[in-house]
Amino acid sequence: MEQYSILGRIGEGAHGIVFKAKHVETGETVALKKVALRKLEDGIPNQALREIKALQEIEDNQCVVKLKDVFPHGTGFVLVFDFMLSDLSEVIRNSEQTLTPAQVKGYMMMLLKGVTFLHHNNIMHRDLKPANLLISSSGHLKIADFGLARLFSEQGERLYSHQVATRWYRAPELLYGARKYDEGVDLWAVGCIFGELLNSSPLFPGENDIEQLCCVLRVLGTPTQDTWPEIVELPDYNKITFKENPAIPLEEIVPDTPPQAISLLYKFLVYSSKQRCSARRALLHPYFFSSPLPAHHSELPIPHLGGHPPRQRLQPPSLDLSVDLPLQNNVVDPTLLQGHATCL
Amino acid sequence: MFHNSSQRKYWIFRSEEELEQMRRKANQKFRNKLLESGKSGVRESMFLERHEEDMLFRYYERRLLDLCNAFKPAMPKSVVGTAIMYFRRFYLNNSIMEYHPRIIMLTCAYLSCKVDEFNVSSAQFVGNLLQETPAGQERVLEQILEYELLLIQQLNFHLVVHNPYRPMEGLLIDLKTRYPALESPESLRKNVDDFLTQAAMTDAGLLFPPSQIALTAILNSASRAGLSMESYLTESLSLKEDKETLLKMYDSMRRMKALLNQYELPKAEEVNVYKQKLERIHAEFTTSSTKRKRGYEEDGHVAKEPRLAEEEWTDEDLL
Repeated sequence: MEQYSILGRIGEGAHGIVFKAKHVETGETVALKKVALRKLEDGIPNQALREIKALQEIEDNQCVVKLKDVFPHGTGFVLVFDFMLSDLSEVIRNSEQTLTPAQVKGYMMMLLKGVTFLHHNNIMHRDLKPANLLISSSGHLKIADFGLARLFSEQGERLYSHQVATRWYRAPELLYGARKYDEGVDLWAVGCIFGELLNSSPLFPGENDIEQLCCVLRVLGTPTQDTWPEIVELPDYNKITFKENPAIPLEEIVPDTPPQAISLLYKFLVYSSKQRCSARRALLHPYFFSSPLPAHHSELPIPHLGGHPPRQRLQPPSLDLSVDLPLQNNVVDPTLLQGHATCL
Repeated sequence: MFHNSSQRKYWIFRSEEELEQMRRKANQKFRNKLLESGKSGVRESMFLERHEEDMLFRYYERRLLDLCNAFKPAMPKSVVGTAIMYFRRFYLNNSIMEYHPRIIMLTCAYLSCKVDEFNVSSAQFVGNLLQETPAGQERVLEQILEYELLLIQQLNFHLVVHNPYRPMEGLLIDLKTRYPALESPESLRKNVDDFLTQAAMTDAGLLFPPSQIALTAILNSASRAGLSMESYLTESLSLKEDKETLLKMYDSMRRMKALLNQYELPKAEEVNVYKQKLERIHAEFTTSSTKRKRGYEEDGHVAKEPRLAEEEWTDEDLL
């Protein structure tokens, strides 16, 4: 702990307080997530274990937050992460104008790169949502919060919990109580996030689990065995029936959106998990190769944490360098350099 | 994936000798600590020798396996494998004289359940300790939770263990699809399983990647059934051209078999003698020498003692 000096408090995470701190030796700013173990009847919380487990076994990836260190402290331990300025939900909420198509594309590309990497490493995140997509001071998006992440194997014998993912981003099979599912739950969430970026508001803002299903069904239409063959096997399939309604074209749900974006959105928002487009394939979608091209990370907004107005980014000094000015105005006065440069 | 795992990076060691050296060092470290503490009554003769320590270790490891096998609901193999691996990793750098294996073994099983997402509640877990009264179970749970942090720390927070069970399934599928010379790969399964269980009770997992352990298990079972599978290595795994890898593989297999052959069940009479030594050390010295005070009762259970009031971790603490 002595290696870090605390700069302030960032917030309260699922398993403890998160601090902003500086690594004394390197001067690097980090986020310290403290996991306290007192008064927990089951000991070290699963969320903390999952986070360590998932992040410790993967190599560095630019689109996934890095677990820099874990060390014991007091009655618990501390997880050390890169410090991140903000998250995508702040960006969506606070940007003065709606994001430009190029910016949305830039975020989607980073998100899909991160998801591709995780799925390639057999990790289901299970809680993708804008608030878990952190934004660095350089504008990079990084997937964070692996408290629900699970290493998956294709053995398919173990059951998973369906009580995962924040409701608005929860895949329909989870809403129907599925205990066997796959990385498709992340791809559904990616679709929801994509829609939210395009619309600046959540796509399926259900108030409760039943209403959540209504929201989804209203847009995608009542599922049938044709559109969703696996539905009959889901635990809650027969427990709830909804009035039949046809699907609403996504063009109406996310208006003023170019056809390429609509086409990609359709590939994620599919009932059948197996039919959802993998992150790796999605990156090859024409959407990313057509004009406007994805924005560079330096062209993305970086809101200040906590919704305060963004701090002024450093401006280059307003020197009037011009070919029309007399030369002596543009060069440095040699006397200023005396004592700093020996060759003069 | 194994190839970029913490297991490959930090928990696969070069040789049997290196492992023995580490254990020797841990044993010595504990002796030195006690000898230097200046406590009265500390004599060299009271310490456990390495081979004595080793036998007790195997005794408790076996008890850990028994507990896992009898566990209700049935514990998946990978959970059992992970628990045993934690136990082995823990005592690479720690002596059983310092931390009692009885509680560490339970803590390993408990942590393994959580890490491997075998979701049992803490009450359910200690409910499996059938010889305990409900009050005793509660006491054990309290100890487990107390040692959990120590365990995870000693594991260096490396939680994911790659067991040989998945590679074994993969190899069986490969045999079925690409190696018609072997008529029924499934018939090997029983022996393969036994081999892997035995291998888990050796240092194999600290020396070899899980896939090699699985392969050795299969080849070994085949040869016991009188089947030669050499062409699987040379042809199907195309090692014919790669003499170096092939020889290395043969060497690994030979070493693994040696480990399994060397394994001896701990003998009850000796275990009882060494256990007395162990209990004495813990009763007389360990309690007062560790930072967190614990008392050991005669029946071998850690007495219930209020946890030391450690400071709450607050903002002020960090500031």
